[in-house]
This record gives sequence, structure tokens and C-alpha cells, in this order.
Amino acid sequence: MTIDEGKVLICDDSILARKQIKDIIAIAGAPTIFEASDGEKAIEIYKEHKPDLVFLDIVMPKKDGNITINEIMAFDPDAKIIIVSSVGTHTQLKCALEAGAMDFIQKPINKVQIIDALNKYLGR
Amino acid sequence: MYNQFFGNYLYSNEYVTKEHLISAIIRQTKVSARIDTLSVYFGYMSASEVEHVKQLQNEEGKKFSELAISYGYLTQEQVLELLNTKAPDFLTLGQILIDDGVFSYEQFENILTDYRSQSELLDLEIDEENQNEIRQLIDSFSLVTEYAIPSFGKAYLELLFKNFVRYIGEDFTALPPSLCNEFATEHCVSQTINGNYVVNTYLNMSEETSIAFAERYSNESYDSYDEYVAAALEDFINLHNGLFIVNASNDFSNELSLGTLAPHDNNIITFEHPTYIFPVYYPFGIIHFIMEVVSL
Repeated sequence: MTIDEGKVLICDDSILARKQIKDIIAIAGAPTIFEASDGEKAIEIYKEHKPDLVFLDIVMPKKDGNITINEIMAFDPDAKIIIVSSVGTHTQLKCALEAGAMDFIQKPINKVQIIDALNKYLGR
Repeated sequence: MYNQFFGNYLYSNEYVTKEHLISAIIRQTKVSARIDTLSVYFGYMSASEVEHVKQLQNEEGKKFSELAISYGYLTQEQVLELLNTKAPDFLTLGQILIDDGVFSYEQFENILTDYRSQSELLDLEIDEENQNEIRQLIDSFSLVTEYAIPSFGKAYLELLFKNFVRYIGEDFTALPPSLCNEFATEHCVSQTINGNYVVNTYLNMSEETSIAFAERYSNESYDSYDEYVAAALEDFINLHNGLFIVNASNDFSNELSLGTLAPHDNNIITFEHPTYIFPVYYPFGIIHFIMEVVSL
């Protein structure tokens, strides 16, 4: 799969954070992008479109990132989820990795880390 | 300051597998940093010297410090100093991974150098003059307030003003805080820090100031107050609080968590606990940062 053929879900309650991630993705390619502003919506979109890669925040309304990972992983154990959060404490990191997240990117959002993730999980 | 938790740094740079890291984090709070790890951290011994002493320890069954002194790697004074030094808690994570055979002392020494230089680079973004001004400013706060700012507050405020410099600009003047019971908001967002202390934090500014603040924060331009401008205020407070709890986790294994962001636009907030208002003057307007200490 190339980046352009991939489907990416960005889930963050901040419209600005979602825009920043989208702008960085646009530098690397043009995958199909889905957006969600809370965990509940992210699970719904995941089940409908089965994206190849998910960028997920932790502190969100309705369902937080950890609950969202658990529900997505229960639906699809092969889901590729990357946490993008400002709360990278050892408890959060442990919970996210145990639940099945592939990576944990600490905010502020770093262009290189997002592009590396795209190449790693979507690139050939 | 650290821009990420040490464990996250190890994982994202592929020094550890997910399984090794989770297993080490679970054990981290149960161990303290030993003198061998501290010696490498403070640069008193090289990794190869530590490996040598460890090997002698296995052969002779003597104490690490005793052997290190007898081979001239450490002085008596250095041993006493290390035994009484408070080192950041993330060191124990490295120590567990060495004991598990995930990496050697030499690899640990190199990893530490890289990790620290990354953190130092972050501090270097703020020049020495600014750093001194921030420290003096915070020291002056403790002299004029009726209630002393709690101990965590100093580190919190130092990081806050550094984040103002880093993300908004250094051209601000912070006035001493005042205590208050009530506040009339304009555009305002709050977030609670929960843990062994609970603090409600608020960021408030006028519409015009919000637009200019958002432009600086996101490097975009905005014609009017919209959802992106509102998100910039939320992102700033969330980013700052997030970095604060990462540092608390890294240095003191103090696990704090963040609540969801709550808007309080054009409202009157009544505070039930000691509350400090910090006015920060930028050329584009005044920002009010509010800290309500719910429990200590």
C-alpha cells in the first residue's frame, strides 16, 4: 500500500490539532482522511471505514482515548493506532501500549514523527 | 524540562520493545536508583568502570561503593554525595532495563546523553536572560502574595512562563498575582489537574486578544473569533498542563491526570478555594491565567 492508497482516521477534540495533523499528512501524500472529535465518533467511523491508521488523542469528551483503543481493538485486533497526546506520563504510556497502541507521540505535534508513522505503517 | 517521558523516548527510538517497557514501568515505583546508576547519571564513573566494578562484585562479593573507592573510580565524598542525592525517578526505569539485560551500561550512558541533550536543547530555546527573569518573577510572587504559592506551584509557573515564551513570544510582562473569589470571564477555558493535589487552571482573554493569541500560537491568520481561535486557547492550556504532568511523572513518579477542557465564556466564576490570578501583558492584550488550588 502507498500512503495515497491508505485511509487515515484523525481523532482529537481540538479542531486545531486535527488541522495540524492533516496539514502534515498533506506533505507526505494524499490518503483518504476521516475526522472524529470524540472517541464515540471515532469507533463509529472505524467500524464503517476500517482505516489503515488511526491518530488518537487521550483526553477527550464522551469516550476517552483508552476506552476508544479497547473498543477498536476488540473490533479489529490488527488496528494500527498511534496516540498523539499531551499527557505522556508513565501510566498513560503503559495503558495505551497494553491496550494495543503501536506508538505514542507526545504533543506538541511533531512533523517528523507523524511522517515517520505514515511511512512506517502506510508506506511500502 | 523534558518534552517527553523517558519511557516514551526509549520506546519511540526503538531502544525497548513494548513488552520490556510495560514490564519495567510496572516495577518502576518499587525500586530506587542504585549508586552504580547514579554514578553514570552524574558522570562520576564511565559505563566501562561500572561494568568492571560489577564484575569484581560478582567475584569478590564486596559492596559496589567499597570496590569503586578502592579502584579510584569514586571518592568517599562522591559516594556520600550520591547516597544523599535526589535523582530524577526515570533513572530507575533505565536501571531495571539494564538489570533485565535490555541494554548495557554503555548503551544506557549513550541513551542518557542523547535524552538529556534533547531536553537541554529545549531549555536553550529560552535564553539565559529570559530564564533568569522568569525565576526572579516567580521569586517575587512569593513575597507579595497573602498566601504562599504551594510548592508544586513554582515549577508549574516556571514552565508556564517558559511555554509563553516558547509558543506565544517573549514580549510579555507578568504582574504579581492577586487572590480572588470571583472573576468575570470573556473567552475562558479551564482544565483540572488531578492527583495528590487538585488544581483548576483557567486561561482567559478578550475576543481581540484571543485572535492575536491564536495567530501567534498556530502561525495562521484569523479574521474573526472562530472555532480555530477557541481551539488555540484550549490547545495551549492542554499542552502546558500536559508537559507539566510529564515532568512530574519523569522526575518524581508523581502520576497526575488531566480533566477534559471546559469553556466558561462570558460568565462569572465563583471560587471556593484559594485562587491566584496572574495577569500577563502582551502588546496585543492581557491574558489572565488563574489557578484555583482545590486541595494539596
